[in-house]
Parts: sequence; C-alpha cells; structure tokens
Amino acid sequence: MLSDAALHIRSINSATPYLMSAALVAVVALAAHALTRLTALPHVSILFLAAVVASAAIWGFWPSLFAALLSIAATSFFFYSPIFSFRVADAQNVADLAVFVIVAAFTSRLAANAHARAIEARRQQQSIAQLLAFTERLAGSATDSELHGVILEHLAPHLGRPIWLLLPEEGRLAVAAALGDDSALPEPLRHAAERLMNAADAPVSGWRLELLATAQGRVGVLVAREPGAPADRQLAKALLGHAALAIERARLRREIADARLRAQGEALREALLNSVSHDLQTPLAAILGSASALESFAEGGDPKVRCELTAAIRDEAERLASYIENLLDLTRIRAGQIAPRLELVELADIVDAALRRKRKALEHHAVEVALPPDLPMLRLDLFLMEHALANVLDNAAKHTPAGSPVRIAARLEKGEVVLDVTDSGAGVPPQDLERIFEAFYRCPGGPERASGGAGLGLAICRAFVEANGGSVAALSAGPGRGTTLRMRLPLPEPSALAEAFSDD
Amino acid sequence: MTEIAARILVVDDEPQIRKFLRLGLEGHGYAVLEAASAEAALRAMVSGQPDLVVLDLGLPDREGIEVLRELREWSRIPVFILSVRNREGEKVRAFELGADDYVVKPFGMPELLARIRAALRRRIESDSPEPVYRVGGLQVDLARRLVRVDNAEVRLSPKQYRLLQVLVTHAGKVVTHRQLLEEVWGPAHRDDIQYLRVFVRKLRRRLEADPARPRYLLTELGVGYRLRAPDQL
Repeated sequence: MLSDAALHIRSINSATPYLMSAALVAVVALAAHALTRLTALPHVSILFLAAVVASAAIWGFWPSLFAALLSIAATSFFFYSPIFSFRVADAQNVADLAVFVIVAAFTSRLAANAHARAIEARRQQQSIAQLLAFTERLAGSATDSELHGVILEHLAPHLGRPIWLLLPEEGRLAVAAALGDDSALPEPLRHAAERLMNAADAPVSGWRLELLATAQGRVGVLVAREPGAPADRQLAKALLGHAALAIERARLRREIADARLRAQGEALREALLNSVSHDLQTPLAAILGSASALESFAEGGDPKVRCELTAAIRDEAERLASYIENLLDLTRIRAGQIAPRLELVELADIVDAALRRKRKALEHHAVEVALPPDLPMLRLDLFLMEHALANVLDNAAKHTPAGSPVRIAARLEKGEVVLDVTDSGAGVPPQDLERIFEAFYRCPGGPERASGGAGLGLAICRAFVEANGGSVAALSAGPGRGTTLRMRLPLPEPSALAEAFSDD
Repeated sequence: MTEIAARILVVDDEPQIRKFLRLGLEGHGYAVLEAASAEAALRAMVSGQPDLVVLDLGLPDREGIEVLRELREWSRIPVFILSVRNREGEKVRAFELGADDYVVKPFGMPELLARIRAALRRRIESDSPEPVYRVGGLQVDLARRLVRVDNAEVRLSPKQYRLLQVLVTHAGKVVTHRQLLEEVWGPAHRDDIQYLRVFVRKLRRRLEADPARPRYLLTELGVGYRLRAPDQL
C-alpha cells in the first residue's frame, strides 16, 4: 500500500504548476491594469497570451489550459465592460476573446510539445551517456570479478540495493558478486532466481529479479531489493541487455582459451616426455660414466685425463641444472603463476645483471653494450626481465661461433623502448622466426646439443616479456647473417616518472 | 709465523651438501664444523668459536633466518646464506638481518672460496679502517670528504656524498635499499626504492665511466647496492 504521506506529496507536486500558472496570470493582470491606466489598450487579451505560452513551455499542456481559462475570466471580469462582471457586452471584445481562445489553444499545444520533446531529449541524452559509460567500462574490464563489479555498480541505481549477481556454476545458480550487503543471499531468493532462470516467473514481494539473457540464451539473474520509485525502465532494460552480452562474451572467451590450452597441453606433454627422456638422461649418463671412470683409475691414471673427466662432470651437471631450472620456469608459466611485480627500474641494471649471470656462457664472445645514457626508467619486474634477457643471451652464445660478437642495444621509439640482442650466427630461416618461441622447438640446422634448455629458453623469454607488458620477436637478415631478438617494452605512465628526489 | 686455519661452521640439513662443503673447504686449508639443525648450529657457535658461518635457510627445526637473527644479537661473525633461486624476499630479509653474502644453489666451489677469502680478509681489515677508500680509479677520502675518479676531483651533493659514504663503510657488502634509505633520508623514506634508483643513477653518472655498465656501484637486483671492494675487481 502506498502511504498517505506519499500521496500527499504527490498531490502537492502536481498542484504546483497550476498555482504557478495562476500566479503568472495574476501578474499579467496587474501589468495590464497598469498599462490601461497609461494608455487605451484595444486588445488586452493579447497580453495574457504571454502567461499562457510561458506556462505551456514550463509546465506543459494542462497547466497552460488552466492559465488560458483564468485569462479569459480575468479579461472579461476586469477589463471588458461591464467591468467586475463575467458578461461581455461589446461584440468586438467577444471576437477578441474567441481569437484569444484559438490562439492560446494552438500556442500552448505547440509550446507544450516542445516542452515534452526537450524533456524526452534530455532524458535520452542522459540514458545514452549512461549506456555509453557502462559499455565502455564493461569493455575495459580485464577480469571477471571486475566485470561483475561494474555491472552491479551500474545497475544498482536502477534496480535497488543490496544487489546480487547470480551466474550458473556447476549446474546451479551461485552468487558471483554482491554489492551493498556482505551477508549471503537468502536461500528462497536464490530458489526464485533459479525458477526465473528456468523461464518460470516467480515474483517475490519487495524484491526485484531480473533475467540476464542474450539471443543465445539465459546467462544469469540479478536480484535486488526493490527501491521506492521505479527508475527509468527503458534504460534499465538496455543496461541489462549489455550486461548479459558482456557476461556471455567473457564466458565464450574463457571457453575458447580453455579449449586451446587443452589442445596445446596434449602436444606439450608429448614434447616434454621426449625432452625429459633425452635431456635428462644424456647428461646423467655422461656424469655417471665420467665418475666411474675416475674411480677406476684409483691412484693412477693420466692427470690430464682426470682433469678432462672432472670438467665433463661439471659441464654436464651445469647443463642439467639449467635444464631443470628451465623446466621449473615452464611449469610456473603453465600453471599461471607468473605474477609480475612491476616497479620503476633501470634497463641498464637488468642488462648488467643478465650479463653477469651469463658471464661464463659468453666468455668466448665479445659483448658490446650500447644503451643511451638518457634512457627513461621502465616499469618492469626486475627478475622476470633479467631472466628473459639472460635466456636470449644464452641462446646467442650457443648459436654463434666462438669469438663472434654479441651486441646489446636499446633505443627509444614511439612510446616504447626497443631492446635488441644481435648475434652474428647462422640466422634463422624466415618460416621459423615465430616457431623458435615454441617450447621444445630446436632449429633444424642448429648444433646438435645446442641448448642446455632443450629449446625452452626463448619460450620462457617470451612468456616473461609478455608478463611485463612487452613483446619479443626474432628478425634475421638471412642465412649466415645473424639473428636479432627484438624486445619491445612499454614506457611507464608519465606521472610515475614525474616524481624525483631532490638532491639535498 | 704459522697461520692458524680459519674455522668455518657449515649449517645444512642435507648430508650431501655438508659433505661436499667439508671436502672442498678442508681441501683448501679451512677447518670445518658441521651442524644439521638450528639448535646444533647455535650450540656450535658457542663451543666451536668459528670464524665464518655458511647457513642454509631451510632447516628442519627452525628457519635459518631465525638462526641469523639470534646470532646477530651477540655476534658480528661473517654469515653466508645458502638458498635456492626465486626467493628474493628471503634474500632481502637476510641482508637486513646482517648477512654478509648470499650464495644460490647450485654453486661452484671456486666462487664460494673466493667470497669466503674476501670476507675473512675484510674482517681483519675492518678492525683498522683506512681513512681513504680506494677501488680501481675511485678514491673516497672519508676524513676530508673528498671524492676522486681517476685523480680528478668529483663534486657531489651532500646527499650523494652521504650515500657513497654509507656504501664505503660497508664496502664489498650488499647494503639493502631499506638500509640505504634509512641512513641517508631517514626512516620516513624507507620504502621509497624508486627514488633511490633515480638517485643512484645520478651518482653513477658522476662516478662511472660507463653508467650503463657500472664498475664500482653495483646493483644487487631486487636487494640493494654494493660498492665493489678492491679484491672484487
């Protein structure tokens, strides 16, 4: 039941335009009275048109009609003889009033239409603006939870608060997000939502349940406590439609990614098995063999041979360590456990650390570093980037003849820092430039035991660079003309750089 | 004069790691004490009087970091931390608690031996600090507050000099970001690592021939900075 107080307020609200219209007519009447004192006005009724038109423009048709009636009454009573009587004696005055009625009717109709159109236009403009803001934020949502938050935030003003978003999960509806109430959704409401999802309408008094549906089907239900006055129904409908589409899109995107991952998973397992059997067993065999050979010499044996055997044990163990490290990284990537910790860092620090780590691998290469001194700081995860770069350097060292140079160069280019690592090795054929980033891929023409990481290094590099918001690609001028690994790293927001420490 | 072998306490619960460290260190003239747990380590610290501790962070009874904390309450003995990769947070904590160096498994014996030798030598030298610190072409005269690079005087702002001074007093050792920020800018700025990076960049431009490949002021990725000691060149 709508309360009496609410009714009362409503009647006052709807009476205001009429009272104001009457006031306008009274003002015009006073003005007309003053004018007729100064000069003879043959057509006083014309003045009252102003009140009628104004009333129509501001309050619409009915108040203006009221103003017109009052105007006729006022004219005939105060201005047309006999004065202080509603009778009008003069034929010309009668004609006057007749014309007034016709003109007032037309103008107030026109003005009222314009008034209604203006209101409608303003409402539509607001709706469109809201809708645009909503779709923009939907599109900008990176995660499901962000998306759900945006939906609730925009629909709560129209549906009510608290509000819950329910989405299907393992065959039943479950709360995916809530706004305005931390407590759980009452079970009867969830059941009602479930019925709505199954196309059976089940109204619950005091609560509003809205189905989210697209042309493809039902995607979920919104449950909200009903507010006092219903809001813009049309806008709410449009918002609901967009919300449903956004949820559906997110679900499809996830399904496609899952399917792709599963397919890749199969291929990867096979490659992994092959790799483990080969890359783990070979160094182990070499270590066991060398160690038992050393043992068999007991006290004797050629010191040179003993040295070679111990060196072989160390080299193979190092290969094994680097292989296991890469496998662990790959596992972390596959498990989605790469969470970059972005902070402002010097690229030079990363380059220096990677070079120090790969000092041994690069000992037979002349490394040239060309970093401009005024390179801006970048927002990166130090360790992921250092690791990515170390893998690239490792790769360069392994695929180039001893003594050949490796060049590291960076430059600023259109809002990015481009970091190139160029070697002068055999190069990569054009059809393989992308494939070298696949896990377990090995260059067909490359050295037999080229990479201790069994073709994992560049796959890890790409995953790490991408986790930092960058990209990496291989370029090659052709067979025998070397390879450039080009990493593109985004520049941070200018505000992040603006802060600087004073020297004193 | 006969040199008494320095005693090294190896704390690790893995017997094979202890074994290889014992063989390697004894082979190079050090006396080795072993402990397989935190309790045994603290006992050996008192009874064995070692000159240096090699401490593994993963111990069965207590975290290695706790052993370090307790140790630092009464001893300034050099402590080397052993750990596995990808544990940067652990590294920072170890340095903040006063670890002297950090070695990541797997590591080679020559690397460990070189660092142990340097740490033991620094320990002897730090008893009589030189008023002028020299490494390569860099000279820092702590008494006269003068800095020279390849014999040319370098002008530093007061804060820049202070930063360098802190690094000099810990030369050869890693000083964490937080320690530097606290000592130079005060405790209120202890988390402003990005400011520190900007600042180090400026300092490097004054001290280093090639700031992109620093020779003196080294970055310990994610942990802090280290001023190279002469024996680390």
